[in-house]
Amino acid sequence: MNLNTLDELAPPRQTPHVVASAAWHSLAWLVVANAIGVLVAILLLFPGLNKTLGEWTYGRWMTVHMNLELYGWTSLPLAGFLFKVYGADRGAAANWCRPVLWVWSVALGVGALSWLSGYSSGKLFLDWSGYARVLFPGALITLCLLLALSLIGSRSHSDNATVAAWAAKLIGLVILLVVPFLLYIASSPTNYPAVNPDTGGPTGASQLESSLAIVAILLILPFGLTRRKAGNSRTIAIGWIVLVAECALCVALGRADISHHRPAQYLSLGSLLVWLPLTPAYYAAFDWHSDTRRWRLAFLWWWAALVVTGWVFFLPGVLDHFKFTDGLVGHSFIAMAGFTSSLIIFVMVQLLGEGGWIFNRARSFYLWNGSVIAYVLLMTVAGWREGFDPTFTIVPGMARNLLYALRLLTGAFMFLASLDWFFDASTLLREPGPALVPKYVAQETTA
Amino acid sequence: MSRGDGRQSGWQGAGLVAITYVYFLIFAQFAFLKRLASLGVADAHLKAVMAAMAIGGILFSLLAPRLSLWPSPTLRLRVGLLASDAAALLSLLPLGLAASVAVSFLIGCGLGLLTVTLATHLRQWTGNRNPLLLAGLGTGAGYLVCNLPPLFTASPDVQASAASLLCLAGICITLLPAPTPLKEAEILPQAAVPFLRVLACFAALVWLDSAAFCIIQNTPALKAGTWQGSVHLGTNGLLHLAAALVSAWLIRRRGLSFVLSAAFLALGFSCLLLLDPDRVLLASLFYPIGVSLYSVALVAYPSLLAPVSSAAERGRQAGWIYAIAGWSGSAMGIGMGQNLGHIPPTFVIAAGAVVLLPGLIRAFSHRTRELGLTAFVVLAAFYVDRVLLPVHGSPQLSQVERGRQVYISEGCIHCHSQYVRPNTADVLMWGPAETIQELRLQHPPLIGNRRQGPDLSQVGARRSALWLRAHFYDPPEVSGASIMPSYAYLFGDERGNDLVAYLEGLQKAGTVEHLVAEMSWRPSASAVAAADASDGERLFQRHCATCHSVDGRTRHAWQASFRRLPPDLRVGPFLDLPLSGPLALRMDRLAQIAKFGIPGTDMPGHEYLSDQQIASISVWLSQHIAQLGLNR
Repeated sequence: MNLNTLDELAPPRQTPHVVASAAWHSLAWLVVANAIGVLVAILLLFPGLNKTLGEWTYGRWMTVHMNLELYGWTSLPLAGFLFKVYGADRGAAANWCRPVLWVWSVALGVGALSWLSGYSSGKLFLDWSGYARVLFPGALITLCLLLALSLIGSRSHSDNATVAAWAAKLIGLVILLVVPFLLYIASSPTNYPAVNPDTGGPTGASQLESSLAIVAILLILPFGLTRRKAGNSRTIAIGWIVLVAECALCVALGRADISHHRPAQYLSLGSLLVWLPLTPAYYAAFDWHSDTRRWRLAFLWWWAALVVTGWVFFLPGVLDHFKFTDGLVGHSFIAMAGFTSSLIIFVMVQLLGEGGWIFNRARSFYLWNGSVIAYVLLMTVAGWREGFDPTFTIVPGMARNLLYALRLLTGAFMFLASLDWFFDASTLLREPGPALVPKYVAQETTA
Repeated sequence: MSRGDGRQSGWQGAGLVAITYVYFLIFAQFAFLKRLASLGVADAHLKAVMAAMAIGGILFSLLAPRLSLWPSPTLRLRVGLLASDAAALLSLLPLGLAASVAVSFLIGCGLGLLTVTLATHLRQWTGNRNPLLLAGLGTGAGYLVCNLPPLFTASPDVQASAASLLCLAGICITLLPAPTPLKEAEILPQAAVPFLRVLACFAALVWLDSAAFCIIQNTPALKAGTWQGSVHLGTNGLLHLAAALVSAWLIRRRGLSFVLSAAFLALGFSCLLLLDPDRVLLASLFYPIGVSLYSVALVAYPSLLAPVSSAAERGRQAGWIYAIAGWSGSAMGIGMGQNLGHIPPTFVIAAGAVVLLPGLIRAFSHRTRELGLTAFVVLAAFYVDRVLLPVHGSPQLSQVERGRQVYISEGCIHCHSQYVRPNTADVLMWGPAETIQELRLQHPPLIGNRRQGPDLSQVGARRSALWLRAHFYDPPEVSGASIMPSYAYLFGDERGNDLVAYLEGLQKAGTVEHLVAEMSWRPSASAVAAADASDGERLFQRHCATCHSVDGRTRHAWQASFRRLPPDLRVGPFLDLPLSGPLALRMDRLAQIAKFGIPGTDMPGHEYLSDQQIASISVWLSQHIAQLGLNR
């Protein structure tokens, strides 16, 4: 299968505001979610302020905060990515991209209001309940329909398109179409994944499974974003072969409720360490926009940190110490604010091309990453202390309050960085289009 | 920079705006009312006096641009300041009703003349540099000064004197050489907003502001939460100043409509918050922001933004804005506040329609696809949810099941786990542990991933229903320094009792074996050796005194509900404590009670405290209780 780039099917003319709109929506949710993050950090330091919030107390805001980060900030850029891959950002379909983004945002807004109003399934990150549980998957189906229409349109317009690339997109679309239904089913209170009986958390096998899903996304992304460099097929092939092998290992492990003390569990999770050298090598096999360098490095570093800490925190003894403490909150922060955020910013910079400058200001880059590092360190220290003495959190003293005050500060810094990006993204939407056309697209058009 | 350039800074303009606002806010709206109250003017008489002020204000707002007697703006401004000054001084006299009406009328006339003249010719005093910023600075400074505690809390006489002095200062400012004004045609670039729409927006905002001000002023509980204490006043003042500066910046960057919309959102939100006394603190945050946002626009629009061709037209527009939006809107708002005592949400919605609707219609007219598709998906989802996926009648849930739903709704899972890790310290603290099979019977299992508070999987075995209820009402009082928010609002309906029933039911078979383990627990020898009686006393005051001292708040609040009133430390009786026998035995039992409570009673445990802390409590208690026991 010749998968040089999935972009081959599309006509050359692009509507740049489509990707910028996806970035804008995503950043708007980041600003809101971070503002709520700052609010909950304040509430942990000054719990008396809960009184001023009526029924909208800490627990309800936490649900909103976590879901907005996931379904707003980290998911909407992928809509922009899919628009480009399926050619929805060009021609007549481009007129419907912004409406689809608005549908997504409205559905998420309805979700936020429903969580604040007390509707929740009780499952973390799958809190969809009641009407919102139907509406949000409905928004995802709307996106899929637009992608399907774009795909059909590209088939009729592109005579030279390869069948393989078109088929790959079709398979991708079928998988995407399953997601809304999976989301609906997974939000049901009656389904619950495998449980590690020694901690109540996920088993090694289920962690491996979710990690491999991320690895698969990492391997697919470059094909939709750019071209591969000549002579690097071997590295790319190795990446896919390793993924398949690890998937087989995952299947072999099964989905039973098994303890992390079993060597098979932590050793198989350790197999992810192979991605430490493999991921940078894989990404080096593709041709990236020069503006992506800063965030590409950041995401690769955060990925390495995530893989290593993910494994270390799962080891017997370590997990027993840190379970239910701030230590694992810090680790989750590496995943969301470190790795995922830098990955999607890298993706957006690549998609925006010359418009990617909005994420490349040094001040916001260092403010964000520095704050994430500080946050993780603070939470690790807090978790370490808490692992010895639960009173550290339950009966807050000066040390806990100091750590939480510093955490609030890092949250405020991250909020400022997100505001910086959001304002710049708003500017981008007001600027004329050509500034947003990726350089290589512009070069192609000129040629 | 030449000397002449130095005069171009335009501080005179900012100063005059600040003086006008201070006079209006601290004297006309505040001190004069208190003065009238001290003179015994009330009810219908008060209304007559205030009506005189409104008539004077409306009259001179409309007349100011048409007065040919004083053609010079500077002269008109001086007359306005002089009249205001005179009114402030006259208010210090022992006035009768007629005199009060006359002074009130004079205040209105002075203010009408002053505000319209200043707005019409503001650029004469701000000059060419940043007139918008100076208008913002003047407005913010005015509000800041009014919120300075020495002035805000001063007597009406002092406030009237201060207003008088400020008017004199204003006259002095007009005597100084003024900066060169911009040409009349030079207005700041803005998207054209129809005058009538601007007028309606200002009227709606002033109405809301005045109603909220009146309600806060006349409701002690609200006043206590908004304008009392130096810190609160200082915060209000700074918020006003910051919001005013932001308003000036936003008017330049995003336009007048944006600022008026933002002002409405802040002000309208604070008006809704004022409906609930518990949220008054939050309301006090949004109120000054909303007020300052629109107050700057109220100065900036007629003076700098209105697309007019002559000073006369500018003056007429300013006159109508201050007469209708300012004086009439204010009177209507105060009337609403006095008659209803609250701002109906429907009125807030109506005001929102006036301020926001035109902008929303304009924005959505370019977004028909977005609107259409969103509406379609929203309705389709509604159809699927209500018709295609029918729930055949709501299942009849038991009280415990309803309580579980409350637990989920409130997001308790973000602070409390429900999983005791087997073979760990968890078991003694929160145990006994459940099996995976037992866990999977729950839909969904509420394991959680973070413990800001104790694990709750067996809380029903450790805490009585009374303790749970009392704790939901006032967590920090019942459980020393707890960071849990109060959930008293859940007891406004059945949710609170449902939640208590659910938590009470969280206990499994096998608890008896666990009780045996608790009874055999002793603090470690090293913890006992390190125990400190003074530390124990501190811990007692923090965790125990609320029930075990005669003036404990929890003891008082729930006195009639205890199964057995907690023994007062000085009196007893201590039914679960061996008062005779070896001291070591007594101390061990004290430690067990402090750590795990007394089963079957309302006495809770403090499982999360360290051995040393428990031993310290035990040492301190044993000294006091043992003494008592020996005496008996």
